Amino acid sequence: MADETYKPPTAKATGADKTVHKALGLSGGIFGASPCAVDVKDGKIIRIRPLHWDSAYDPKTFNPWTIERNGKQLKPYFKSVPAPWSLAYKKRAYSPNRVNYPLKRVDWDPKGERNPQNRGKSQFERISWDEAAQIVADEVQRLCDTYGPLSILVQGDGHGECKMVHAPHGCSTLLLDKLGGFTQQIRNPDSWEGWYWGSKHVWGKGYIGMMAPNDNIVKDICENSDMVVMWGGDPETTTWGFRGQFASRLLYFWTEIGIKQVYINPDLNYAAAVHADKWIPVLPNTDAALQLAIMYMWMTEGTYDKEYVETHTVGFDKMKAYVLGEEDGTPKTPAWASPKCGIPTWTIKALARDWAKKVVTIGHYFGGGMARGPYSTEPARLECVLLGMQGLGKPGVHQAQVAYTGMPKNIITGGADHMGPFANLNSKPYGERLLKPHRGTPTAWGKQMIPKVLVEEAIRDGKCEFWGTGGHEEPTSDQYRRYEYPIAKEKGGTEIHRMWTDTPCRVTCWGGGGEVMEAFRNPKIEIVVAQHPWLENDTLCADIIFPVTTTLECDDISPCIREGDSFQSVVLMNRAIDPVGEARTDYHVVCAIAEKMGKLELVTDGFTDEELVRGTYEGMKFDTVTPWEEFVEKQYTVLPVAPDWEKWPAGLYEFWKDPVNNPIPTPTGKLEFWSESLEKAFPTDEERPGIPKWIEKGITHDERISSYRARKYPLLVMSNHGRWRTHAQGDDIPWTKETVTGKIKGWDGYWYEPCWINTNDAKARGIKQGDIVKVFNERGTVLCGALVWERIIPGCISVDHGARADFIDDDFTLERGGAINVVSPKGLTSKHAGGQATSGYLAEVAKVSMAEMEEWREKYPKAFERPYDPASGLRYDSWVKEGR
Amino acid sequence: MGKKVFVIDTARCNGCYNCQIVCKDEHVGNDWSPIAKPQPEIGQFWVHLQEKVRGTVPKVKVAYRPHLCQHCDDAPCMDACKVEGAVYKREDGLVVIDTDKCTGCRLCVAACPYDAIFFNEDLNLAQKCTGCAHLLDDGWGEPRCADACPTEALKLMDEDEAKELIAKAETVKGTYDSGAKPRVYYLGLPKKFIAGTLYEPVEEEVVIGAKATLKAADGKVLTTETDAYGDFWFEGIDDGVYSLELASAGKKVAFADLDTTEADINLGDIPLA
Repeated sequence: MADETYKPPTAKATGADKTVHKALGLSGGIFGASPCAVDVKDGKIIRIRPLHWDSAYDPKTFNPWTIERNGKQLKPYFKSVPAPWSLAYKKRAYSPNRVNYPLKRVDWDPKGERNPQNRGKSQFERISWDEAAQIVADEVQRLCDTYGPLSILVQGDGHGECKMVHAPHGCSTLLLDKLGGFTQQIRNPDSWEGWYWGSKHVWGKGYIGMMAPNDNIVKDICENSDMVVMWGGDPETTTWGFRGQFASRLLYFWTEIGIKQVYINPDLNYAAAVHADKWIPVLPNTDAALQLAIMYMWMTEGTYDKEYVETHTVGFDKMKAYVLGEEDGTPKTPAWASPKCGIPTWTIKALARDWAKKVVTIGHYFGGGMARGPYSTEPARLECVLLGMQGLGKPGVHQAQVAYTGMPKNIITGGADHMGPFANLNSKPYGERLLKPHRGTPTAWGKQMIPKVLVEEAIRDGKCEFWGTGGHEEPTSDQYRRYEYPIAKEKGGTEIHRMWTDTPCRVTCWGGGGEVMEAFRNPKIEIVVAQHPWLENDTLCADIIFPVTTTLECDDISPCIREGDSFQSVVLMNRAIDPVGEARTDYHVVCAIAEKMGKLELVTDGFTDEELVRGTYEGMKFDTVTPWEEFVEKQYTVLPVAPDWEKWPAGLYEFWKDPVNNPIPTPTGKLEFWSESLEKAFPTDEERPGIPKWIEKGITHDERISSYRARKYPLLVMSNHGRWRTHAQGDDIPWTKETVTGKIKGWDGYWYEPCWINTNDAKARGIKQGDIVKVFNERGTVLCGALVWERIIPGCISVDHGARADFIDDDFTLERGGAINVVSPKGLTSKHAGGQATSGYLAEVAKVSMAEMEEWREKYPKAFERPYDPASGLRYDSWVKEGR
Repeated sequence: MGKKVFVIDTARCNGCYNCQIVCKDEHVGNDWSPIAKPQPEIGQFWVHLQEKVRGTVPKVKVAYRPHLCQHCDDAPCMDACKVEGAVYKREDGLVVIDTDKCTGCRLCVAACPYDAIFFNEDLNLAQKCTGCAHLLDDGWGEPRCADACPTEALKLMDEDEAKELIAKAETVKGTYDSGAKPRVYYLGLPKKFIAGTLYEPVEEEVVIGAKATLKAADGKVLTTETDAYGDFWFEGIDDGVYSLELASAGKKVAFADLDTTEADINLGDIPLA
C-alpha cells in the first residue's frame, strides 16, 4: 500500500435506491473530468458526491505514484476532487430555465413571413417533436437544393458536458457531412490565443501552441524548480472545468517543499489569494512591457544562459537590438516599462535579478490577463524568449499549465499525444460515428469555413478572408495560408443561409457581443436552429429550438483520460433521471431530423447507443484493464499508473541536452526568437513582426491607457474565465451565486454579476460596495454589481466573461446580466491572428442611479417585466407564450 | 461511538466553497427527519464559508474560514430551549435539533453565540448543521462537507485521534462570551500582519537585507530582514500598537503608532532616504 494512512471509503448511497456515475467536468465531449457518484431516489437526484477511486477496487492495483522532495511526499488522492458546481449539478437539470418542449418563434413561418428582424425580440410557442423535426428536415432539404449544402453553418464546437456518444457539440455534422458537407464555424483558440498565434512561431506547433512535449513536468518542477512565476492564469479556477481541484493540492505541496510562487496578474486571483508568496500586480495586457524590461536587465547584466542562447536559439541579436533600443532608439528599461505596466522600476529589477538566480518555471492555467488581450501574440512569444534565455528544457525550467499536463502516465494512453488515445477508435467500424461530432472542436475540417471570430462579419459582408483557420491541431505553416469565405462556386461555395447551433453562447463568450446578436437578424439567414438544454444567450435568436437533455438524463460513457487528477479513469454513465420534459440528447435530435428525411441510417451507421458505449470502451482497449462485464457492474474503472512512468524525459529536456539531435519543430529546429518565415509571410505586419515587440496600438486595436479613447474610458477591463462557471456553463446554479464573488444583490432585487473595483477607483466615482454600476464604452453598456476591494489594482476593473446575457434594449447595446463581452473589442487578436481580444481593453464605470434605472424601465418596460427568479435568474417562461 | 470533533486547517482552505455547497446538496429538498428537515433553497448556510480580504494592494491575502454549528459541550441553545429533548447532544458530541420536537419558538436562534442556527419560516423550525448525523448513523465516517473538501482542510475526527491537533488549535469566539466549550477546532487562523517594501529612491532599487525591527507596546521586539524584493513581512502578530524601524547602511526610516487592532497594515513602497 502506497499510503499507510489509507482508509477505505465510508461514503455511500444513504437514502438512495440507485447510484450512477457521471463525469461532471465541463470541458467537453471527448475528454471527461471530475467523476462523481450520483445518488437517486424515486427518480429524483438526492446527492452528488466525489467518486472514491477505491470504492470498488483495491487501490494497490492502481500502482499509485509518489513524487518527493526534501523528504516530503506528494501522493495521489483516493477520490476525485470536483468543483463546487459539479457537486451542485442537479440544480442545472432542474433549472427553471430548461427548455421543456420543441419551440418555434411565434412570428417565424417557414411557408410565409420569416421576420428575421425580430430574432431575439419575439417569444416562442410550443410545437410537437414531429412538427419541429419535419420543419427542420424540410428546410435542410430546401437549402441543399436551393443553395447547396454549404449554405448551412454549423456552430458545433467548444466546451460542454463530458459525453462520448451523445456529444454535446457537432452531432449535426453526422447528417450534414453525408449530405455533401456544411460550413464549419472554426473554434479559434479561446483561452490561449497568444500561444497559438504567437508561441508557435518560436517553438513550433507545441501542444496547441503551448510548450511540448510536456511529459513529467509535474515531477520535474517538484524536484528541481526554486520558483514558479504564475503569469495570468488561475489554477484555482480554470482547472475546475477541466480537471477538478487536484492542482490545488499540488500548489500547497509546492509551498510545503519551499517552491516560491510569484503571481503576476492585475487581480489577486483565487490561486494568488491563498498560494502567493509574492503578488506583482500588472495592468491588464501590459505584460509585454514587463517582459521586455526583464530581458533588458538580463542582457545588460549578463545574467542569462549565454551558451544555451548560442546553441539553442536563433535571432537573439535582433531581439537584443530591439530590447537595448538599437533598433528603434528606445531601450526597454524598467523605467520605460514601469508607467506602461504599473509596476515600480525597483520591483521590475528585483524580479529580473531574483529570477536570474533561480531555477524558474512559468506557470499558467489558460485564461488570465496575459494571453487573451489585443496583440496577445506578443507577450506569449516574449515568454518563450524569457524561458529561452534561462535554458528552457533544463530541469525545472518549463512552461506549465499547472497539472493540466505532465502528470504520471497510465498504462493505456501512455505517451500518446493530445488526441492519440482516440486513434484506436478510428480503425473501428463505429469509429467515425463516435469521433466525427467531436472533431468540430479541435479540427478545421469543414469544406467551407468561417473562424468563430469572423462569423458576424462574414454574414454582414457576405465574405471574409483570414490567414490560418485557427483549428487547434493545425501546423504553424497553416497561419501563412490565406483562406476565403465563401470558397469558389465550382467547389460548392455559397453564402450561408442557415445557422445550426448547439453552442449558443457566442454572445457572452466571445468578443463583439451585440453585433453577434445583430448577425442573427440578417435577412440572408432564413432559419436559425438551436438545440440546447437551457433557454439562454444565442438560443433566444433561434427560430426553432430543440430541448436537449443534460448528462444526468442520458446513458453514455466518459473516458476521463486527461491528466490532471490523481488517476485517470473511465466512467460508465448510466442515466440518473428521466429526461426533463420532452428533452432528447443532442444526438437523438439529429436522429429525429434524419429520420424525417429518410436518412437515419446515414447518421447512426447502423449502431445502437448501447453498441457505441461498449464500442468506446473496447475500441480504446480499456477492457484490457477491467473486463466489460466487471466495468458494467462497477460503473467505472481506474487506469493503473504505468510502472515505468518516470521514464519519459521531462518537457524539453532532450532538446536542452542535445538540440542538434533533438530539434524542435521549427524551420531551424531551434527556438526562433526571430521567425524568418513569419516575417517573410507578412513583411509589412507591424502587429506581429518577426521578433515579438511591445505594440502600443495598431490598425486592429487601440486599447492602451495612452489612447485618446482613455480620456473617456480610462479603466482597463480585465476579464477572466469565471470562478463559478466554465465559460457560459453554470450561471443558473443558485448556490454558487450566494458566494461572495458569485453575484451581487442589487437594490432592485436583481442579482448582478460582480464588477471588481479597487477601493480608490470606487471612491473617486462615488461607488460603494453592492451598488449597481454600469461598465461602458462606445460599444455598449453592461450593468454589474460593485465588488469594492483590494483584490484588484487601481486603474483596472474585472468582470468574468460568460454571464447569461439579459438585454434591456432591442439593439443589444444595453445589457443587465453582466455579459461583459458586449463591450469588448470584436474581431481579431491582430490583423493576421484569429484569436479574440476579450481582456485588457478600455471602459469606464459609473454608479447607476435610481433615476437612470427608472428611465430604462419606462423606455424598455418589456425587459423589466420578464419573470425573474433571484436564485436561478432568468426563467424559461419569460420567453415562451403561455409559459409552461 | 467515540466523541467527534471538527478540525479545520484554515491554512489549507482554498476557498472553493465545496463544504457550503454540498451541505445544500445534502439538505435542500431532502428530508432527513428527525435529524433534519429540508433546508430552504437559498439563504441558509449550515456551513458558511467566511472570507476576509487582508491588507491593501499589493500586500493582500485572503483568509477563508468555514463557519458552522460549534456543537458546544455547554451549548447555549440547549440551555435556552424550553422543550425537553428538542435540542439534544448525541453520544458522539454532535448537537442536533429534533425536527419533531422543535416548536419554532426561536429561543435557540437568539441564544447561539455563533449565529449558526437559522429559522425556517415555512416549516416553523430552527435548523442548523447536524454534522450529517443521518449519514454517520448509516456508517459514514465523515459528513458531506469533509467528504467534498479537496484539500482535507475540513475533517470530522475522533477526539482521541485529534488530541495533538487540538493542542495546537484554537476555537473561535462568539458574539458574546458564552463559555460554551465549542467542539470545532481551527488551525492556522490568521492574526495580523505589518508589511511593506523598502527601496532606494535615487537608484530606484529595492533594499535587500535591511533590518526591520518591530516593537510592540509591551516592549516585545520582533526582527526580520527585507527579502529579494525589498519586502518585509511581520506575520502572525497580535492586535496592538507597534513602532517599526527599517535600517540599512546607516540610513533609517521609522514608523510609530501602527495599530493592527482593526486591520492588517501594508506600508506600501517606502523610500529609504
